[in-house]
Amino acid sequence: MLRIRDASVTFPASDGQDVHALDHVSLDIAPASIVVAVGASGCGKSTLLNAIAGFLPLTEGTITLDGREIAAPGGDRGVVFQKDTLLPWASVLDNVALGLKYRGVPRAERHELSRRLLELVGLADFAEKPPYELSGGMRQRVGIARALATDPKILLMDEPFGALDSLTRETMQQLLASVWAKTGKQILFITHSIEEALTLGTTIVVMSPRPGRIVARFDADFVRDFAESGDIGPIQSHPRFIELRKEIRSLIHQPEGARTGTLQ
Amino acid sequence: MTLTANSPTTFQTSTARRAPPARPRRSASTNTLGISLVTLASLIALWFLAARFGWASPLFLPSPAEVLAQFSAVAADGYANDTLLNHTLASLGRIAAALGAGIVLGVPLGLLMGLNRWIKGIFSVPIDLYWGLPPLAYLPLLIIWLGIGETSKITLLTLSTFAPICFAAQAGVRSVPVERINAALSLGASSLQLFTTIILPSALPEILTGLRIAIGAGLSTLVAAELIAAQSGLGYMIMSAANFLATDVVFVGLIVIAALAFAFTSGMRWLEHRLVPWKGKL
Repeated sequence: MLRIRDASVTFPASDGQDVHALDHVSLDIAPASIVVAVGASGCGKSTLLNAIAGFLPLTEGTITLDGREIAAPGGDRGVVFQKDTLLPWASVLDNVALGLKYRGVPRAERHELSRRLLELVGLADFAEKPPYELSGGMRQRVGIARALATDPKILLMDEPFGALDSLTRETMQQLLASVWAKTGKQILFITHSIEEALTLGTTIVVMSPRPGRIVARFDADFVRDFAESGDIGPIQSHPRFIELRKEIRSLIHQPEGARTGTLQ
Repeated sequence: MTLTANSPTTFQTSTARRAPPARPRRSASTNTLGISLVTLASLIALWFLAARFGWASPLFLPSPAEVLAQFSAVAADGYANDTLLNHTLASLGRIAAALGAGIVLGVPLGLLMGLNRWIKGIFSVPIDLYWGLPPLAYLPLLIIWLGIGETSKITLLTLSTFAPICFAAQAGVRSVPVERINAALSLGASSLQLFTTIILPSALPEILTGLRIAIGAGLSTLVAAELIAAQSGLGYMIMSAANFLATDVVFVGLIVIAALAFAFTSGMRWLEHRLVPWKGKL
């Protein structure tokens, strides 16, 4: 269980006015749930993820993972970045095995495990290739496999499909839903796409900028159907989906003054 | 090659973009090889013609045949106290020693300067100061301090190879993308693992580029140093020949140096291709 309590991140700005990138955010991420944070640029969703990953210190508040406070990056939180961060000098297989190598897992063992993960993301035949011979979508799959290899307690995904074309993106959403259904990982997923949030989230939190805070929270269940059927069409035309999409859109586009405190 | 052909997966890879071809097209770079060869052949032909029709006095421009004859004479009987091979080996030995010292000193110091603000602050001042000086300007000083022997020459050459290597290692560390470091940290890398598995390989392309620059800087300083104070080496041979207006021997020396420079550059290109085939790809 990941517990975020009153988390704030303040950056000093050049004009003296501090930027409240994250303002007293509280959120729980339960095991086997996908929490999707959705919002416009600058709403603090990436700041939240970076704080959980340990890349960024909190100004106020606490984040605990299974009771232990987070202070620095660590192998218990797997991160998938928007920009792929694979090592160009290592094969796809060695990239996936990197975290296991850091843990001192023997070569044969870490390669076997990594091969299984590559199978899970559908790249078994590309194990020996260098990452730069893969397409953008395939590289993101390697990134997911790499993050899963150390068996982290939570997977943090920072707009992982944001740079992909829409068709590849759909394939990747399908892949993530099926990986989630198979592994039962808890996932925090950041996106600016409302459709993606509704398709993938068991919980959707809507964030607003200046200051970055959570303005609404919805529970959804479309991802289970999606993981089973793999068909995005019926899900996105479901009346509940359309209704929620409309509601979230109006929340995101609401003028700043009109917002009130956190809805539950 | 489509992905669907060799990826037996439930995820529809046909919608994914195709992987780029395994080997990028290299026709653009190999095309210049032909042009370069023609240029080289034309220059040599021009030289033949100039010598044949006496456009310049043989004193200034010896014919290719004379140079070739002199080449084998110098190779067999030697010139200025020694054979061509020994002069070449003397020069190569100096540059190898200086490159070795430059790498041993420059790579670790450059890496440390890239990693640590204090080390950078302390060492960048003296390095920037001396690197701005022409090596031949402080050679007399080195001769006063270290004598006329090999020590002063190798020190001079080391100074000229050290700086580019050190700068390159530093730039290499600074060029590591922060996301790559964050990714490694979130995979549980320790500081040492971060250095050996991320920072060092990320800096390697820059270090190799620095090495190539260092070879060029070393080679030009070497010949200049041998022109001034030496008993052996290609620079010394050229200088001695020039004193006797033996232009053909000067040509022999120049051709050997040009061949060495070409071999070094090609060797470094090959090394880069072998060691960092990913350069500029991700």
